[in-house]
Amino acid sequence: MHGYANPARFLKIARPATGWLLGIGLVLLLAGVIGGLVFTPPDYLQGETVRILYIHVPSAWLGMAGWASIAAASISQIVWRHPLAAVAGRALAPAGATFAALCLATGSIWGRPTWGTWWEWDGRLTSMLILFFLYLGYIALASAERERGGEGRMAAIFGLVGAINLPIIHYSVLWWRTLHQGQSISVAGGSTIAPEILWPLPLTMLGFTAVFAAVSLMLMRADLARTKLEARLRRSAAE
Amino acid sequence: MMVRPKHQRLVLVTLAVAAVLGAVLLAMWGLQDRAAYFVTPSDIAAGKAEPDTAMRLGGMVVEGSLVRERDGVSIRFDVSDGKAVTPVAYRGITPDLFREGSGVVAEGRLQPSGLFVADHILAKHDERYMPPQMANEVAAR
Amino acid sequence: MNQWSFVIAAYAVVGLGVAGLLAFAFVTMRRAERAADAVRRRR
Repeated sequence: MHGYANPARFLKIARPATGWLLGIGLVLLLAGVIGGLVFTPPDYLQGETVRILYIHVPSAWLGMAGWASIAAASISQIVWRHPLAAVAGRALAPAGATFAALCLATGSIWGRPTWGTWWEWDGRLTSMLILFFLYLGYIALASAERERGGEGRMAAIFGLVGAINLPIIHYSVLWWRTLHQGQSISVAGGSTIAPEILWPLPLTMLGFTAVFAAVSLMLMRADLARTKLEARLRRSAAE
Repeated sequence: MMVRPKHQRLVLVTLAVAAVLGAVLLAMWGLQDRAAYFVTPSDIAAGKAEPDTAMRLGGMVVEGSLVRERDGVSIRFDVSDGKAVTPVAYRGITPDLFREGSGVVAEGRLQPSGLFVADHILAKHDERYMPPQMANEVAAR
Repeated sequence: MNQWSFVIAAYAVVGLGVAGLLAFAFVTMRRAERAADAVRRRR
């Protein structure tokens, strides 16, 4: 479990991985976006606005996957006191918050021509907005704890409890009647999106995910470098 | 055997997560009716909707029920959820995706007569996405 | 054509958002790693 606890060993992998993930992610994104804007047909009802799907769905996925990762980091922080867990939690939050915000923004831009409204307080939209606010709270809490030199336990508890919102977002369209449509793609493999329209989506999903991972690694490296710098300054001050 | 603190913390975390999850699920279940974004024609038929209070009505626009009044901006249509039907009257511009056979959410008030007077109409999109040719083929079948 | 303006707006928002996030992460990392290296060299 603590195999990569040593920051030096982690950095040995993280340094080359950052560039690779970023490169692969941008290539996939370029392919997916060109496919989604040029080569796919419009939808029979929505027309061209269906193309927002290729950026809205990955944003929603990463907004939620980001918090799931924070929750996983929180568990390994609370239970195993993994030395990199708090670093990972702090690094994941800005990327997750950005994608949650992009999910809300693109959804709003899609909703205006499709539903006839920018915003409605239905179950799905509201729970996603709450996720965005949870990210802001987590960022404030985690950075305050870091400044105080804490271990990040308060942030970890917040990250774990906040994960309750994830099943609420996911099942909101099933539990309550919402304006937002039900899910189109299920884990069981079914899809109510025609293959001609669907194919760029996996490309942008993987692309955004790789960029997300690259951003998280960059912020982890920044955090570790800051810790190193602070330790060195303390040491030279003591000498 | 000594209980290692690591295991103790694991059990604590598991219990805490289970407790919070249980509490939230209970709350969600209790909220089910209140958190619903709209009522259905069945709810109205069952007398669950109070007349003259603001609410949203959701369902499908019944095929062939859409009537445009002579003034050009007023429309009437029926909303169905498969079990019951509610007539709706509306005055204004409808969204592009509003059409017969499609989902709709109407905001307004239920009259004691059973007519739902809407002051705002939203189109509800479903989870199916397909190109126009394919939609024609589906319709032709 | 009107529909395209919504599509372009959505892609522009996401493009700016992701580019901003990447720039922020990259600059933060660069600055922190440079500062850490500088202190090591000074010693």
